[in-house]
Order: sequence, then structure tokens, then C-alpha cells
Amino acid sequence: MTAAPTLKIEDLHTYFYSRDKEAFIRSVDGVSLEIAKGETLGVVGESGSGKSITALSVLGLISARPGVISGKIGFKSDRIQKNLLQDLDDFVKLTTKGGKIMAVSKDVVGWERKAERVMNKLRGKEITMIFQNPKSSLNPFMSVGKQITEAIQLHTSMKTEPEAKERALTWLDRVKIDSPRLRFDNYPHGLSGGMCQRAMIAMALACEPSLLIADELTTGLDATIQSKIVDLLLELKSQLGITTMLISHDISIISRLSDSVTVMYGGTVFEYGPTKDLLSAGFASKHPYTSALLASVPSKQSIREKGYLQAIEGDVLDTINVPEGCRFYGRCNQVTEKIREKCARHEPDLREIGSGHKVRCWLYFD
Amino acid sequence: MAKTILEVMDLKKHFTHRRGIFSTFKEAQQSIPAVDGVSFYIKENETLGVVGESGCGKTTIGRTILRLEKPTSGKIIFDGKDITSIRTNELRQLRGQMQMIFQDLDAALNPKMRIRDILSEAITVHHRISDAEVEKRISDLLEQVNLKKTKLSNFPHELSGGEKRRVGVARVLSVGAKFIVADEPTSALDVSIQAQVVNLLRDLQKRLGLSYLFISHDLRVVELISNKVAVMYLGKIVEMGLSDRIANKASHPYTHILWSSLLEKQSKETAQKAKSVHAGRWGVFDFERPTAGCRFVPRCPVYESNGKPTLCTDPATEPQLKEIGGAHQVACHFPL
Repeated sequence: MTAAPTLKIEDLHTYFYSRDKEAFIRSVDGVSLEIAKGETLGVVGESGSGKSITALSVLGLISARPGVISGKIGFKSDRIQKNLLQDLDDFVKLTTKGGKIMAVSKDVVGWERKAERVMNKLRGKEITMIFQNPKSSLNPFMSVGKQITEAIQLHTSMKTEPEAKERALTWLDRVKIDSPRLRFDNYPHGLSGGMCQRAMIAMALACEPSLLIADELTTGLDATIQSKIVDLLLELKSQLGITTMLISHDISIISRLSDSVTVMYGGTVFEYGPTKDLLSAGFASKHPYTSALLASVPSKQSIREKGYLQAIEGDVLDTINVPEGCRFYGRCNQVTEKIREKCARHEPDLREIGSGHKVRCWLYFD
Repeated sequence: MAKTILEVMDLKKHFTHRRGIFSTFKEAQQSIPAVDGVSFYIKENETLGVVGESGCGKTTIGRTILRLEKPTSGKIIFDGKDITSIRTNELRQLRGQMQMIFQDLDAALNPKMRIRDILSEAITVHHRISDAEVEKRISDLLEQVNLKKTKLSNFPHELSGGEKRRVGVARVLSVGAKFIVADEPTSALDVSIQAQVVNLLRDLQKRLGLSYLFISHDLRVVELISNKVAVMYLGKIVEMGLSDRIANKASHPYTHILWSSLLEKQSKETAQKAKSVHAGRWGVFDFERPTAGCRFVPRCPVYESNGKPTLCTDPATEPQLKEIGGAHQVACHFPL
């Protein structure tokens, strides 16, 4: 193994409490993943599979209770190497039964006070995030340029305004916004969706973070704009070598941008491996969920035959009542008689089945 | 030969754009041509897909056909009857036959009503039937759209995106609509749920003989579900034909660009090639200053490579839809 990865999440649990159902919503239930320096990790899964909550947990942006309750988030950059959840265990008491967390008591105030001390130095500076909806994450009362300038003044050594403004302008130019000097004074409502997204990318990258988290970067954009944002990211990636965690449910975007892929479902990782192994067609061992996701995209063949799409029947797992066996058992179409018993009763673990390729499925274990 | 259910002739819808509160007095109104002369027809049991970027007038076409907007000019003929300017009480009857599935179902379903009430309201508005019959109708509908009966007592916010979609479809079917405008029915849905919804729409079409006007910017879904595809650019149809031909033998440079931007089709090498196609100037079009002649000129790669012919920018010769064989129409002076 070479250098330590930029981000290494180990066994992260983020729960919420549903008052009217009197039960925990296990949004993130034991997620482990890592991103090496300069690599792009794609995170795919249906909505409700815990992708965004994982990202928000890394940034310490979960405000609902109990929120993050256990796990390790190792972060390493040129300046800092730290477990972001260090010494926070004291604030949480977990009651487990049969390996399952049954009750949580968390000193939220104490946790937050301590966690914020760490996170305030990192957020926006070392780790930045581009949120799902660019229009709603920009301040409507501030010009776009001003917002970027403010971020630069806050997080970098450039404290004077003219200096920061100059840098904001170079970044607006770098993300290919036409006539940046003109757009600098525009308010978000005067920009198109694609341009807002570019401004967000400029703001996120202007502070030269070690880790960029991009959450559903292109959803809601037109096909032409989408492909241009993807082109831009590819270009920035080759120029700057940024480490990125790319969250999306659009497999075509993940397959073009990322080096490795994590497939999430029901708050856990189902499959992890290099993009070319996981998402290219005809690769033999694949988790049934990954195959189903791939099959539900309209393909050349299904279009030619004017056939039906292969939908995954049923709904995304309700993370309040996590079943005993495999989380995907109820929707899986590849259960064989031989392993049916196992699938229904025991949850498989994430095992390595090839070089760097891990799967959580009984099909591939003997 | 299948019957033509909807025919639209030279439909125009212009919105007025006011600047400041006194503009009504000063007559400083500007007109924005959202839909600017569109003609097409849809046969029974057929799907016409409409694609284009946001702001090109796709949704406005749908809304104008259903008379949710008053058309500026042109003609809409539904089921052999001119409905361009019929009165409200006639329109009410008509809405029993043509309906719309709206884009944003969070906004389209009343958050304070249970699913049962949403469906029964739609039924009782159009048909005077007894409660028992309404009950029966609802359970039939649920079966058709594959929704669990237990969801009837839920509120919209308790349903997942796919289930909400299905309620939207069930509501449209409840009045017995034959012609449905589906406005971005799969946007903002996951791929797996999108597949469920697309399958449901196709299934219903087969079973009930519905006709769809399918509006979407997801090109793959449009290609899959439609018989014919119309490509729109700034209020005009620039190309129309069988979906197979539009996808594989596009003649208008814009269609070509749209399809080449499809990420799935690109391997890394072709991505490089495609990049050179839509490199050029790619600014946002200014509605207030439309170019003379062909609207696509500012973004057109063919115009650049042909040495900027004056034919394209001459206001007298804006390209019209021309048949180029095989029911394929293109509005371009230099089709590819």
C-alpha cells in the first residue's frame, strides 16, 4: 500500500429517530469506504440508500438527532492527518443486542462542541461540498462574485478584498463562465442552472481543498449542459488532480468520471471496485443490485426492440425495519434455491472476490 | 389506418414580458414567443416525444393543447373537433378525455388530502356515480397502476417518488382520459423507479389504447417510448420523424448535438470528438434579441464550417420544416 488515503471511513453509523414510529431510521448503517489521493470515487444507489447522509456525516453537517453515533472518519491532507470523530465516543452510549444497535444515548451538546472545534478548521477549506441544487445553495441576496470572494477571504491566506476578487475572477474564468467580469456582479437568479453550477464549482475549488464532495452535481440539468459540466470536471481533474467523492444515481456520469465505484443500498456498501470492472458490460461477478441498476437504464438494445425496461420491483429498503437477512433479499431476482435460506436469515459481509473488488452477496461466497 | 386524435396547426403562444409596474400604461411590453408556429399530429395509440433544452417551449405546448394557456394563434383539433376557442363549460367535458401528468408531483398533489380523497375527487368531478362505484373504480385503478391498497389512507408526503408518480397516473386515468400529456414524468426519479414508470406507461398504452405527448429532456427515454420524436429549439420544431431515424440519422445540426451529448453513447475517444462539435460559442440565447433567419445560427457548427452563408441569417428565409423522405422533416438549409 502506498500513502494513506485522503478519506477513509470505517464502520460509520448515522441514525435518526422517528418519533411517531418510535424507532431508529438507520440511514447509514456501517459504511466503510476510502478514497486515495487524486482519485475519484463514485457513489451510486437509489435515493434513500444513504449516499448523501454519508457525505453530510463526513462534513459534520448532520443536525438531527441522534445523528452520527459511531465509526471512524480518517482524513489526511498535506497539512492535517486526523480522525474526525476522535475522542467523541465518550459522548455516546450504545446498547447493542446481537450486533445490532438497539438504543442510543448521546450527549449531543458535548459532541457538537467538540466536533465543531475540529470541523470549523476543515469545512470549506480542506473539505468542500457542492450541493444538489445550485440555485438554492447560493445566497439570492448576494452577487455570485461576492460570494466566491467571501469564501476565499474566509478560508485562505488572501484576506484583502482586491486580492481575493482577483482570484475569484480567475476561477470564474477557469470554470468557463463567459465574460467573468460581467458575471461577477450578477445575482444567482440572473444565471442559468448550468452557470450556477459552474459558479458553485468555482467556489468549492477556489480554496484548493484536499477533498471535494459533489452531491448529484448534474441532476436537473439538460443533457447538453450535463455533458459540458462533466467535460469541465474531467478537465479540472486532469489539471489539478483533485480528490473527489462523486455522488450520483446516474451511472453514465459515474462511469465517465470516477476511478472506482461504491454501490450503496439501505445504508450499507453492497459492492466496491474499480470502475472498469464494475460498470463495464459483460463482467461476470457483479452484485445482483448493481446488475439491476445497470439494466434499468435504457440501452441500445432495449430501444431497438422497443421493449420494456428492466425495473427493479418494489421500493427502496425502509431503513426503519431492517430485515434479518440480506437487505436486498426482497427485491433480488438472482436468489437460487441453494442459498435462499442463507439470504433470508443471515446478512452477508463485504468480502474481497478479486483484486480490489469487494461484494456483499452470498452468490459469490462458497 | 389509425384515427388522428390530435392535430395542431401553426400553434403560437406568446407571453408578454413587462418591465416595471407602469409598463402597462406605456405599452412597453415585450412579447416572448414561447411557442412560435408549431404543427404536428398524433394518431390514436401513438406516442409523440418532444425533446429540447429547458426554455424551448416543450411544456408550454402541452399546456396550450390542454387549453391551460390560451393560444395566441393557430388551431388545435382534438378528436375531429376544433377546440382552439371553445367555452369553459365545453372545456370541462373535454378535460375528461385529455389530461396532463404534471412535472412536479409534490406541487400537483394536495398535501392535505389523503390519496383516497385525491382519487375520488377526480372521479366525482367528472362522473356522477355512487360511493360504492367510486370505491370500485379506485380499487381498479390501483390495480392498473400497481399500487398497494394500504397506501390509500396515506398523505402524499408519506409516499416515495415512484408511488407519487403512480398516484399521478392513476388520477389521470380515473377520469377516463384517452390523450395524456406527460410532462417530464421521469425527471428527478432514480433509474430503477424511472424504469418502473416507463414500463407502466407503456403497459397502459397497450391495454387502454392511450395516446401520449411525452415531454422530456431525457433522450434515451424518449427514444424508447415514442413512435415519433419532435425536436424543439426556441419555440420551433426543427426536426420531426420516426424516433429511430431521429436518433440514428439526425439531419439537423441541433439534433445531432443533442444526441452526441448523450453520455452513455460516448466512450472516452468519441467524447473527444464530440467535444469539438459543441465547443464553439455556446452562450445562452437571448429571447429579447432573436437572430434574423435561422434561430440556431449562433450555436450552429454547420454555419461556421460553411463559411457563414447569408442564406442562414437572411430574415426572409427562415428555414421551414421540409420533408426529406421517410416521414422525416427538417428545418435546415444544410441538413447533415
